[in-house]
Amino acid sequence: MPFREINSKMVEAQVVPGQRMYSQRGAMLAYRGEVSFTPSLTGGQGGVMGMIGRRVANEQTPLMTVEGSGTVMFGHGGHHIQVINLSGETLYVEADRLLAFDGTLQQGTMFMGSQGGVMGMVRGQVTGQGLFTTTLKGHGSVAVMAHGGVIELPITPQRPVHVDPQAYVAHHGDVRNKLSTALGWRDMVGRGSGEAFQLELSGQGAVYVQASEEKL
Amino acid sequence: MTYYSGTNGPASGGPGGPTVFDPHTLPSDDNVNAYTFCVELKGGQWFLQKGKMISYYGSIEFNGVGNGRFDRLLRTSFHSPLHASDWVVAEGQGKMLLADRAFDVNSYDLDEGNLTIRSGNLLAYQPTLALKQSIVPGFLTLIGTGKFVAASNGPVVFMEPPLRVDPQALVGWADCPSPCHHYDHGYMSGVIGGLRSLTGLGGSSGEEHQFEFVGAGTVLLQSSETLMAEQAVGAVGTGAVGGQNQGVPGAGEGPLGQLGVPRMPGQLGDLQRRLGL
Repeated sequence: MPFREINSKMVEAQVVPGQRMYSQRGAMLAYRGEVSFTPSLTGGQGGVMGMIGRRVANEQTPLMTVEGSGTVMFGHGGHHIQVINLSGETLYVEADRLLAFDGTLQQGTMFMGSQGGVMGMVRGQVTGQGLFTTTLKGHGSVAVMAHGGVIELPITPQRPVHVDPQAYVAHHGDVRNKLSTALGWRDMVGRGSGEAFQLELSGQGAVYVQASEEKL
Repeated sequence: MTYYSGTNGPASGGPGGPTVFDPHTLPSDDNVNAYTFCVELKGGQWFLQKGKMISYYGSIEFNGVGNGRFDRLLRTSFHSPLHASDWVVAEGQGKMLLADRAFDVNSYDLDEGNLTIRSGNLLAYQPTLALKQSIVPGFLTLIGTGKFVAASNGPVVFMEPPLRVDPQALVGWADCPSPCHHYDHGYMSGVIGGLRSLTGLGGSSGEEHQFEFVGAGTVLLQSSETLMAEQAVGAVGTGAVGGQNQGVPGAGEGPLGQLGVPRMPGQLGDLQRRLGL
């Protein structure tokens, strides 16, 4: 069930019996009907092993399951919300940016090193994202939070996209990312442009970029 | 209740750079952009929350509430002694701009209506409205006919009851009965739930408590849960546990003087008691 955007900072979701939804704890703004909010002990899918995986990867986030029948409004902290509809592809996003997502999506964690090798790991450290990131795969919708508005940049094989690591929100599709450095002697003497590190995304898909360099 | 969204105001900016306003082109009692509202004063008065004025043209005087000059005005349109220190009266000729923390600012027209709003979100109102403390702590009620200006984090969303709202996302409500609390601890029942509540394992969802609205009316929501620090007014104070003021919100918390009459800042009040008479 897709999310309906009420405004740039609030989304509405339909909850129907038998379909589960995950959302960040405390992100419900209002609801109609009979809906229950249960803190998810394991922080998502995959049972206890999934939980352990997320703990090890430092990608655990307080989630709750939303069940019942009715309409729920989500929003959090005045952050802008981007709804991403997935049809089979995989979305890579930091766990604390997840506002809500369909229970039909398959949740997992991914090692940065497996996408970009050593530079992927360096990238995780440089951007403060850590060595792991959360993946969501399948058919369904995800509501992702960002500071400031979000734009979607398409990535095509001929046109790789360079993104400031701090403004990067999420990406989906068959995308390789690597950290490109433009470190020169100017940076060494403290006269750098402040844009020494860039994220280069190439392949086929899309990347979401926020209009701010502030982390959530 | 009529509502004017900030986006209806004149567009600022454009291909030629930002729009430059002067005293004549500034709108009168309308939004300049989504975050700024312009009030035109023609010898009249407006109530204004402290610190929300960002600039003004003309000659406008700002006076604290409770200086004696406004006795008549306060008697008819200000009934919130607990908030008296947060409000000033703007008076004079000119145009003043109001804004608050880059929140969205909107104006609302009440026509013989009533609307209750979170005290931190109300920026200004016309004295033709009467401001009263709601019996819900932290909320103020406006009654009468006139215009007021309120801020919200993100655009305001209007909803119809029946509805349950996170307390922090609630901006206010109009024309409907006061909300009641709704508690939902369903997941704490049963064997697993009992274990959960016993050990605290698994944490809480943060959504156990909502305000429930029923009946006819409109509920105003904001899309964020970050709030301005606010005073818990209307809570039953310690002094109200026994005696005459039992159950009266705000009783025994100071601003109510010895006679049980609200006292404005700057008044001497308990002189008799202080002198030991």
